[in-house]
Amino acid sequence: MICDEARILLSAYQDGELPPERREAIEQHLKACPACAATLGRSLRLGDAIRAHAPSYRAPESLWNALSPATSPRFWRPFAAGLAIGLAGVLAVFLLLGRPAPRDFTADLVSDHVRSLMASHLIDVQSTDRHTVKPWFLGKLDFSPAVPDLSADGFPLVGGRLDYVGRHPAAALVYRRAKHVINVFVLPARADFVGGHDLDGYHVRRWRIGDLDYWAVSDVEPAQLQEFATRFQSAG
Amino acid sequence: MLCHLNAAYNLARWLMKNDPDAEDAVQEATIRAFRAFGGFRGGEPKAWYLAIVRNTAMNHLRSKNRRAEIETGDESDLADVPTPTIGPDEAMERTYDAETLRHALEALPPAWREVVVLREFEQMSYRELSEVTGVPIGTVMSRLSRARQRLSELLREEGP
Repeated sequence: MICDEARILLSAYQDGELPPERREAIEQHLKACPACAATLGRSLRLGDAIRAHAPSYRAPESLWNALSPATSPRFWRPFAAGLAIGLAGVLAVFLLLGRPAPRDFTADLVSDHVRSLMASHLIDVQSTDRHTVKPWFLGKLDFSPAVPDLSADGFPLVGGRLDYVGRHPAAALVYRRAKHVINVFVLPARADFVGGHDLDGYHVRRWRIGDLDYWAVSDVEPAQLQEFATRFQSAG
Repeated sequence: MLCHLNAAYNLARWLMKNDPDAEDAVQEATIRAFRAFGGFRGGEPKAWYLAIVRNTAMNHLRSKNRRAEIETGDESDLADVPTPTIGPDEAMERTYDAETLRHALEALPPAWREVVVLREFEQMSYRELSEVTGVPIGTVMSRLSRARQRLSELLREEGP
């Protein structure tokens, strides 16, 4: 891929809107091209800055009063009571439909897992030593994942990498069970992140330690993944 | 709809650039949305409502004889963006204050500004952005890309 082509796609890459094959191509290019990587870095910082510092305007009270039946009887008095009830019904439907739906992470997690196996990007820090892997995340994330040593239980640690799950930075810990890879995605717990069912033959288990959520994804037998989750929790 | 009133106001305020015009546009759009609810054909209610707000605001902009701004971009503010006189690293910190960001965003053509605002503040997907703005997803993509490049230039982020 050449830079001109990459520049056009960087923005969509940043937004997680590229199909997997183009994402792969961009990632290959970014590894080889410091200029495009710097452009992406600037663009990400710009987005962070806008979200953090640019003014976000909230509807003034006068507008709420003008539009809200409950707080402005004068506005609605001319309307028949039936119409008001109808509007309240419409409003209720909107409130129900418009409520931010809990986000099902399963598909994101499974596709991240599959991608990590296909690309050459399974591991950023390769080590079976938890005392190497855990500190590696320091300064790269604003949280610190538990990295227990489970080799005695038949789940040796392979390494770790930085990843994104649904556009949120995550630590990915890589364990193995025989020939199977187990990815453990770690990110700050949020009530609206749901999921954890099985998808496309991959199994997903979720647990929480402190204020971090741990999502294990693998194609090992469900019973083995459950055992892994249990051991991880009692060790972590 | 009222659960999206703040999102609607934020969008209109960024498009109209002042409070009274934004309030007018949102009030008119919300009443139209209530009336038109029978015409709601499914999809994402937030995007449907914001599309009405967006169209109302754009019409108000046009009726204020700002057609030229919408079509060619309003670059009259570009000269006012403060020029950092310090090193690139410090400049980067400095350009990220609210006032400079507001200035740079308002200097973008409205059609670029709206996709940045909806993407960054509302985290809308390209599909939803396409629904709100009424242009194809490919156009959304290129507008966002160009808007971000322009913002970077405006903020003089050409350093390493």
